[in-house]
Order: sequence, then C-alpha cells, then structure tokens
Amino acid sequence: MNAQQLTRPLIAAGLLMGTIACGGQAAAPPPAAATKAPAPPAAAAPAEFTFTGWAINEGASKEVVTGYMKAYGASKNAVIKEQPFPFGEELNQLVLQASGGSAQGAAQLDIAWLATMAATGKLKDLSAYAKDRGYTQAGLLSGQVKGVQYGLPWTTGSIGMAANKQLLDAAGVTSMPKTVAEFETALLKIKKSNPDVIPYAGMTAAAQLKDILFWIWTFGGTVIDNKGNVTLGDAGSVAALEWYKSLLDRGLMNKEMDRFTARQLFSQGKVAFYDDAIVMKGIVTKDSPVKNLGDLIVPVARPVLKEGDKPQALLWGHIVVVFEGKNADAAAQWAQFLTSDLATTTNYFEKLALPPTTDAALKADLVKKDSFTSDWSSKITATANANPFALYAASARMESILTERVNAYLVGSVPTAKAALDKAAADITPLLK
Amino acid sequence: MSMERVSPIAPSTRGWQKRPGRLRDSQTAVLLVLPAAALLLAIIVYPLLNSMLIGFFDKSLIYGGGTFVGFKNLEAVLNNEFIPVLGNTLVFAIGATLLPFFIGFGASLILNGPIPARGFLRGAFLLPWLVPSVIASFLWLWIFNANYGVLNGFLRSLGVISQNNSWLSTGGSAMLAVLLAKTWQTFPWIAVMLLAGLQTIPADQMESAAIDGANRWNRFTHVTLPHLRNVIGIVLLLSLIWNFQHFETIYVMTQGGPAKATTTFSVAVYQTAFQAFDLGKAGALGILWMLLLSVVVIVYLRFGMRGEEDFS
Amino acid sequence: MKTTSGPWMATRASERALGRIGLYAALALAMFFAFFPIYWMLVTSLRPNSEVFAFPPSLLPQTLTLEHYANFIKNPQLLVYLGNSVLVATTTALVSLIISVYAAYSFSKFRYTGRRALMFLVLSAQMFPQALLLISLYLMFSELKMLDTYAVLVLSFTTFTLPLCIWMLKGYFDHIPTDLIEAAKIDGAGQMQIIHRILVPIVRPALVATGIFAFMRGWNDFIYALTLVGKSKQTLPPGLVLTYIGEFQSQWADMMAASLLVSLPLVIAFILFQRQIVSGLTAGAVKG
Repeated sequence: MNAQQLTRPLIAAGLLMGTIACGGQAAAPPPAAATKAPAPPAAAAPAEFTFTGWAINEGASKEVVTGYMKAYGASKNAVIKEQPFPFGEELNQLVLQASGGSAQGAAQLDIAWLATMAATGKLKDLSAYAKDRGYTQAGLLSGQVKGVQYGLPWTTGSIGMAANKQLLDAAGVTSMPKTVAEFETALLKIKKSNPDVIPYAGMTAAAQLKDILFWIWTFGGTVIDNKGNVTLGDAGSVAALEWYKSLLDRGLMNKEMDRFTARQLFSQGKVAFYDDAIVMKGIVTKDSPVKNLGDLIVPVARPVLKEGDKPQALLWGHIVVVFEGKNADAAAQWAQFLTSDLATTTNYFEKLALPPTTDAALKADLVKKDSFTSDWSSKITATANANPFALYAASARMESILTERVNAYLVGSVPTAKAALDKAAADITPLLK
Repeated sequence: MSMERVSPIAPSTRGWQKRPGRLRDSQTAVLLVLPAAALLLAIIVYPLLNSMLIGFFDKSLIYGGGTFVGFKNLEAVLNNEFIPVLGNTLVFAIGATLLPFFIGFGASLILNGPIPARGFLRGAFLLPWLVPSVIASFLWLWIFNANYGVLNGFLRSLGVISQNNSWLSTGGSAMLAVLLAKTWQTFPWIAVMLLAGLQTIPADQMESAAIDGANRWNRFTHVTLPHLRNVIGIVLLLSLIWNFQHFETIYVMTQGGPAKATTTFSVAVYQTAFQAFDLGKAGALGILWMLLLSVVVIVYLRFGMRGEEDFS
Repeated sequence: MKTTSGPWMATRASERALGRIGLYAALALAMFFAFFPIYWMLVTSLRPNSEVFAFPPSLLPQTLTLEHYANFIKNPQLLVYLGNSVLVATTTALVSLIISVYAAYSFSKFRYTGRRALMFLVLSAQMFPQALLLISLYLMFSELKMLDTYAVLVLSFTTFTLPLCIWMLKGYFDHIPTDLIEAAKIDGAGQMQIIHRILVPIVRPALVATGIFAFMRGWNDFIYALTLVGKSKQTLPPGLVLTYIGEFQSQWADMMAASLLVSLPLVIAFILFQRQIVSGLTAGAVKG
C-alpha cells in the first residue's frame, strides 16, 4: 500500500470541503439593499454595517423597511447588510451572537428584550443620538436600562382592549363598561344574546398569558414592588387570577386562545372584546369577511376595580439598539434616522399604522387625523405601564415562569390561585439579580 | 504489539507489507478511519465535553465568565425537574418508536400486497416523511388547534364531541398530539425499511408454509417475523436513539407545555440555554443525559457488535 | 432464490377474498392517515386568506384561488432557500458517503489497536444530546470564523449522520467475502484500487439507502441551519419559518403552498426511483 495512493483521496476530500467553504463565500449574493451613489474621488469607503430585525422579512413591513435601507444607503454612502430572523428567534440568536462577539451594527428589538440585551454588555450608549430629536418621554423610557439610553424608540404603543361596537349594540350593551362588575354584566349579556360570539377573547394560551399582568394591576397587585420584591401571591394577584378563571369557567372566555386566533375570530366578527397591540386595526380588517369592520372597532379603556382607578395597559413597542464595534457610529446614525426622521417615520405610520415616537411626527396631520390611533393613545397608552420584568436580564425566564404557573392554574393542574402564584414568586425571586 | 495479529486477509499477502513505501495494513486502516474520527471528535466529543464541563460552573450565556459551583447545578436539576423530564422523555421516546413501528409495519404489509397502483403508492406514501419536519409540525399544530383546527371540526360534525377540545393545552392529550404528529412524519421510512425486508423473504418458503396448511397468521409468525428480525431490530434501535434526541415537533407544537407536560430532555436543555440563558444548568442536564444513556449504549453495543464474533 | 414481491399465497378462495377486503380496508385507512393532512395542506393553499380560519372548516374550498402559488413565484428568496437546501443536503450525502465508506471498510476488514474504541465512539456519538451541542458548536465555529458558510452546515450534518452511515455500510461490508479482496491483492491492487474498483460497485445499492438518510438530515434540520448561517445561505426549514411566521400573524396558506411546492420534486424523485430505493435498502441494511 502506497502512502501516496492513500493521501490522494484524502486531499481530494479536503479540497472538496475547502471549495465548499470558499465557494460558498464567493457565491453569496452581495449584501442586499446597497446601490451606491457615485462617490466623489476623495470620499471614504462606504461604511458597512448590519441591520437586524424581523421587520426586514415579514410580509407587511418587508418592502417598506428595505426601501428605507436602500434609500439611506444610496444617499449616505453606507452599505447596510440585512440580517432577518423570525420574531420568536431573534432574541436568542442575537444573544448568541453577542456572546460569540460577532454582533454588529443596529438591531430592531421588542422593548421587552432590552434588559437582556443590555446585560450582554455589548450595547452602545445612544444618549448622544437621542438628544434634541424630539422623542417622547415614554419612548425614551422604553429604551433605557438603569438610566442608560441603549435604544432609540421606533414605535411606542400599548396592548389594550378593543371591542366590536356592533356586537355590543346587538346585545344591548349601550355604554362601555367602566368597572369590572359592569364588564362582567356586559359579557353575560353578550353571551345570552348570541351564543356563537365569544364575549371576551382573553388570552388563555400559555404563550400569551403575560396579559394577566394588566388584570393583576387592575385588582391592585403590583407583581414587583418598588423595593424590588416579588409580590405575586398577594390579595390583588390572587383575586385577579380567580376572577380570570371564573370567566373561563362560565364560558365567557375560550380555552387555548392566543392572539393570532383572537384576531382571526375578531376579524370574522365573532369576538366582542379582546386585547391586542395598537396596530390591530390594520391586521384584523385585512381579509375580513365583515366589510365595514374598520368602522366597528372601538378602543376601550380597561375596566377598573373601583370607579376612579386608573385603567391598566401594558406598554409595548419597538426600539433600535446598536452594538459596540466596527462602524457603530454609522449604525447609530442609521438608527437615529430610522426612528426620528420626520418623512420616514410618518411614512412608516402611513404604511403600517405603527405610531411614531417623536413629538413632531405625532403632531403631523397624517398621524393626528387618524382618530383610531389618537383615541387608543389617549384612552389606553396614556396610562400604560411597562412590563415589570423588563428591567431584569432574565425577563424572558421570569415571564415564562409566571405564565406557566397561571396556565397550570387555568387548566386545573394546580388547585388554587394562591398556590400557583406563590410558586411563581418563589421561582422568580432568585432571578432578580 | 497487536499489529502482528493475523489479519482476516490471508497471510500470503503479508509479503506486500514489507515493500518499501507501502503502508502496513493497520496503518492504512487507521488512515481510512481518520476523517470520520476527526469529525466526530471535533464536532461532537469536544463540544460535548465542553458543555458538560460547564455543568459544574455557574455560567450564563449573557454574561461572560463563570464561577465554579461543583455539584450545585446537578443538585438543582435533580431536585426540581429531573423526574418529570425523564418521565416525559421516556414516554415520548418509547411512544414515538412503537407507534410508527406498528403503523409502518402495517403499511409495509399493505404495500407488499396486491394493491392497485402499487409502484406509485410506495413512493407517494413517503410524502409525510419528505415534507420538512418543521412544516409538518406547524401543520399538525394547526390541525389540533382548539379554535379552528380541522380535528375539532371533524369530530364535532361527527357528533363525537359537542364542544371544541383544547388538545394542546391539556397534559395528557398534548403528549398524544405530539406523538401522533411525530408518528405521521416517521412511519414512512419505517414502512420502506420493512417493505425492503419483506421483499427478501424467499417465495418458496412462503409457498411451502402455505402448502403445509399454515394459515395467514402462522405464516406471518413463522416465516415473516423471523426473517425480519434483523431489520426490526435495526429500525427499533435507530428510532429509539433518534427519538431521545428529537426536539422540533415538541418545540413547535407545545413548547414543552402545558405546564411542562411535554418537556423532554432536549426541550429542557434548549429552554434552559435560551430562555434562562443558564449554560451551567443546561450542562448539568447534559451530564445526567449522558449518564442515563451509557446504560442504553451498553445494550446498543451488544446488539451492534454482534456481527463481530464472525470475524475476530 | 425467488423472492416474494407478489401476492400473498392464500390457500383458500374464501380466505383470499376476506383477505382482499381486509387489505383494501386497511389500505383505505392507511391512505386516509397518510394523505388527509397532505390534502389539508393542499386545500388550505388554494383558499383565500379570509376562508382559511373559518370554523367549522369546510372540506372543500368555497373559493378557489391561486394567489398563494403566485406569491411563491413572486418571491425569489424562496428559490434561494430551495437551492441552498438541495446543495447542503446533497453535499452532506456525498461527503458522508465518502467518509463512511472508508471508515466502514476500516472497521470491517481490518484489525488494529483502538479499533474497538473507535467503533464505540462512532456508535455512541449519535446518542449525545445534540440540543446541548448547539451553543458550544456555535461558539467554536464563531471563533474559527466559519459561521455563515455552507461548510459549517455540511460538516455538522455529516458528523451527525456518520454513525448511522458507518454502521449501515459496515454491516454490508461484513458480508463481502474476504477472498474477493485477497484475490485483488494477489493481482497487485493497492487499497485505494480495492475500494474504488471492487468494493464500491458492490456496495452501491447500500450507498443509495445510506445517502438518502444523510440527505434527509440536511434537508430537515431547522435549529442548526437557523443558528449557524445567515439569510443568504439559509435552508428551507428556517427559511420558510422566517418568511411566513411573523410577530403579528402567520401566513398559513402561503406557507402550505410553498411547502407543497418544495416537497414536490422529492416526491416525484421517490416515486420514479422507488424500485431502486427499495432494492437498495434490501441490499443495504436489511440482509438478515
């Protein structure tokens, strides 16, 4: 057996793999979105950075956002490389990249993810870019962790309640319920008048049970008090959970209800009340068999326990963060442009109904004229609170501990609300560091 | 030392080993197996040992660094989740092995029989296996959907149930739903493997059994089954091993819920690493997994190496 | 020896008739189980979005539309995903086969120190928790600057299928009589010639079956493809999820249309080659 004879095939295998590696890189399509304007001879090479987000690839927002990227790239001599992820996977993938040191450029984040990303220590402080752009207070707050401005707000809204006016009228509910008691009465009336309609499509599927937060607040619970202690298991949270289950048991809510389903059913005219983000109108009216559904949707201030209480809602939004490293300044400028340029943000609102975050844009006719958005903002976003877990790096885990326990109680595998909430509190407390 | 052992190739060839420039047989053998060994060491063994080592540290994916904590992670896992996760893993692994096996076996018998369009059907039956498993998982997620899934629609129209059932948010039915989805996906390859086995059964053996008066059942148990013993063994073993690993179907359909009712080892590891970002605890789960598996490995090796006796 | 590929040898006419009814009933049941979900995919892909979530669902679409198929064609990115999947899966199959033929030959026809240990490694490697490996592999490839290459996927998938491939091929090699190899050696053949000229042609049917399993590993994987490469090199599973599962809504009908279209070439290939595939499996792992 000749050594040469043996090594030849091994080399061949090695070459094969090498070709794949190199060929793969060579064959990769050039970074999307960049058509460079002819640069003046003395100009610097175009700044290259990555923009990560789910909006880059999702049906509705894809054209809009990639359009902005192309236009910006052309006018500012920048090359923006796309890095889309499915919404549900983006946080994990970014954490992995940050951990490996390869996270670069700007990234779209859900505001709930900020504390986790900030904890990696790889985010750039954007306070210089946030100054004098006219961002709203609420917007700025949604991008801060421990006082440091890591994210520039791209859209700020809330998750609140919406109703189908027509179904309410048909059931004899003439005025919007203001208290929890009135709400229950309204739901019972609706169920009696039309058994095919779901009176309240409240979230009961495990994944979206974070909606329980605003009911806990409504009943007086705080989840985490201002000293940083977990208060789950207190009277308010137990009352909220028991009330929520009673709605389920009385058939006023359906089992396994997630937000996609609630939207679909609302869009079919089969749901009277449900909770959603401010952008819901465009989503439910598209492809709806109910022709004038858009006119029937009404934002509803959440019913309160006692008259005079503040209606509760969950703050919701998107921000753009930037990673330290190569071309971070160029990426930060892009982030600032995307989130505060008047023309861009009003166009974004026009196409996707996502409220802008600067005073100037909010005052623009286009935005002001949209009565649904301003109605929602004044009734719901005005009194919205941030997710109490959002300040902690382990927020995703803490939230899922709570939703698991609540789900266990709702499906009956835990007998009492107090037991479920106490266990949640016990499991969450060690994660508070 | 053992290089001088008699090779299975006749001793007369040993003359070749003495030629200059030629490798000895054993050196050749090692070179031949080198690429495989290198890949396995680099891509499986090294990262695995790494992750298991981290099981003794308190390390988060988010922050860097990590302090040594000894057995603390292992204790935490054993006290909390280990038993339920182990139980779920066993239920899933065994269920996802046996169910497709029986259905696949049935399908192979059917496909071996005098059915119309047999050639076409043998290929078409592979369709569930050829659809990417992520897509199949979404499809079944949707079929089982409590509010607009076709299963509920179907059962209600037949009058079997009066109200929509929430299959995926009730502990017992969630596991069954996941098993059903996995079964649909995997029975085709089992069917094809067993079909191949059925085709090697000599016709005269079947004929003589029939002539001897054996009815269908006896022919099955006395001719078919013994002949298929090896294939069945392979299929069951491979299935079991793969099902211990399986992740996607559960992840897509239930994310391990409701209330952890479908959380198996692989789901638990993934969630610990990516929700809690706790690499230490994930590593501890890995250590426990490896300990359990070493039992299975020994059984596996006994079966896998059985053919060795013919040669050593 | 004649092998059975034809009808069952029922002795009595009544047994035959009863058997046939039973067979057809079982066939119908099996076809329902296998094909109804496929039918559901098809029906969903032909419905307009407004009808997709109607309850109770109708078995036939009330309105037929080809818009979802049109959407597929209008989205060139999907063809990129398909191309990537075919490339990665095929390369995985080829590389796996090459490496495992050598290794299986080594395990089967040679004896040397460390052989048993290596066989133990190979056989047990497929049981190691792949979910746990994801992060370590990611960090390792990140440091080697190999992320976002086709090679990283091919290497990972190949390694995951090696144990199966080596085992299947070794089983086949074990049945090849050593006299064949001896004779070749006497004729002056070197090892490489023995492998390529003599063994591979004999083993070829087994290579088909083994190659298919390796191919399917590259075809089906979601989580490694999602994590290790970026958009331009994504394969179908993460690509389809990326395209159709969103923050606000999922486009089921489009997803079903796309899934059917991308699975179709494989199905046609399997139907056309089902005879070779089945005989390959017969030759490969199945020999008793």
